[in-house]
Amino acid sequence: MNRAAILWRVASILVAAGLIAAWQLAANLRLVSPVFLPGPDRAWAALVRGFSSGDLAGKLIGTLEHMAYGWLAASIAGIALGALIGSSKMMRAYVAPSLEFLRPLPVSAIIPVAIAMLGLTRGMALFVIAFGAIWPIVLATIHGFAAVEPRLYEVARSLQMSRAAIIGKIALPSALPDILAGMRLSLTVALILSVVCEILAGLDGLGQWVLLSARAFRSADLFAGVILLGATGYLTSIAMSLVEQRLLAWQTAAR
Amino acid sequence: MSIVAMLDEARAARRQKTLIAFNAATLRLGGKTIIENLDLEVRPGEFLCIVGASGCGKTTALRLAAGLYRPTSGAVTFDGEPITEPRREVAIVFQDYGKALLPWRTAAGNISLALEASRVPARERGARIEALLRKVGLPGHADKYPSEMSGGMQQRLQIARCLAQEPTTLLMDEPFGALDAMTRQGLQDEVLSLTHASQTTVIFVTHDLDEAIYLGDRVVGLLPHPGRIGIELDVDLPRPRDQLATREHPEFLRLRRQLFDFIKATEH
Repeated sequence: MNRAAILWRVASILVAAGLIAAWQLAANLRLVSPVFLPGPDRAWAALVRGFSSGDLAGKLIGTLEHMAYGWLAASIAGIALGALIGSSKMMRAYVAPSLEFLRPLPVSAIIPVAIAMLGLTRGMALFVIAFGAIWPIVLATIHGFAAVEPRLYEVARSLQMSRAAIIGKIALPSALPDILAGMRLSLTVALILSVVCEILAGLDGLGQWVLLSARAFRSADLFAGVILLGATGYLTSIAMSLVEQRLLAWQTAAR
Repeated sequence: MSIVAMLDEARAARRQKTLIAFNAATLRLGGKTIIENLDLEVRPGEFLCIVGASGCGKTTALRLAAGLYRPTSGAVTFDGEPITEPRREVAIVFQDYGKALLPWRTAAGNISLALEASRVPARERGARIEALLRKVGLPGHADKYPSEMSGGMQQRLQIARCLAQEPTTLLMDEPFGALDAMTRQGLQDEVLSLTHASQTTVIFVTHDLDEAIYLGDRVVGLLPHPGRIGIELDVDLPRPRDQLATREHPEFLRLRRQLFDFIKATEH
């Protein structure tokens, strides 16, 4: 890392520290009643207490599970659907308009339908999370497949490659940067919907923890849950970046 | 009779045969006639160059021979059979090497693509790839991505991938058009020695008349709108060709004048 990069990193940490200090100050000065706004000290203590003697760890795992399963289901189905539509001009022409109708549909409008059909179950949560997280992946995959260099298909033809080989060795790797970008967007969507479903269906997870803490006016516990959710989003996004860097090393090779 | 004479005779006999034949081939695309009634025979082991003004259909003729297009009427045959699809023994070197290589695969990976398509077992691929990279002058570059290579190196890599198909015929579409003069001359000589050693048949499309005469056994000039044959020249220059001696040869200069006059006449 060069000097400029280190300075930027230091500056970003200072900003974060400043925000936490301002929060502590606001709590100490009682700008907001401590019933609603605990300081970072109390929130941190609640976080530690939740992990050591409460079931915060269990709730975290619950949320991570909902998020991971929904996101994985969305990824597999989204890439398959996107590849199917994206690899054929006819499919794009036929199916794209229907997709454009479904895509902007707010997922919150789907939740009552899902509850009516599947009940307040984990199955319902998985369906809602996957349904919400699938769109960025489908659209990115369609775009990636449509943008494959036509010359490469001619190379494949002259090598007499099979259809499966063309998809696996040419179309998919060519579309991979787009697909990964879509999966990154979906990751955030999956986290949001996991929390929403836990709140609505009372499923074991941080959403339920946050809701129950708020109802009981345990604001420190509430903030501990919120901090944990923020950290989950941040860390999964970093993990995704590392995967992207590894899989797309060829893009940065020359520069 | 000496062995050399026997080999020459055998080679001469083979050249009488036809490998690729255009019989009154016509291609219409979108209401436009690109090529009309093209009659052309390519003999096995021959190095045939096609030249012509832009828009004369020389690339289209190559794509017909490759099986990437099918003629609207007439026929294009390979070894007597109509060409309907690309075949593995015919390799195509595209002009835009940057688009014809997989940017996410290293040099070795790009060559491997052809070996995988030919179902070469994985344990044999490494040695084959190394030999091919050496053959095209890229030893030690196996782990580089195309984006880390110069234009000349990328085109060498594409040629190596084509050679991995073990083709009997190479179709080359202005392969050196985008390269600088020095790189170009080096690659011309390498293609000549590679194809001569393996008796590969070559159809080479170019807009560079000097290049066509320097490389070819025969040069065909096409007339534009629609594309058809305008001139056919046998190049009787000694081989191996030499960048200085061949280009100063009186016969080279005579052919060059003839071809330039032809191209100039087509531009009106």
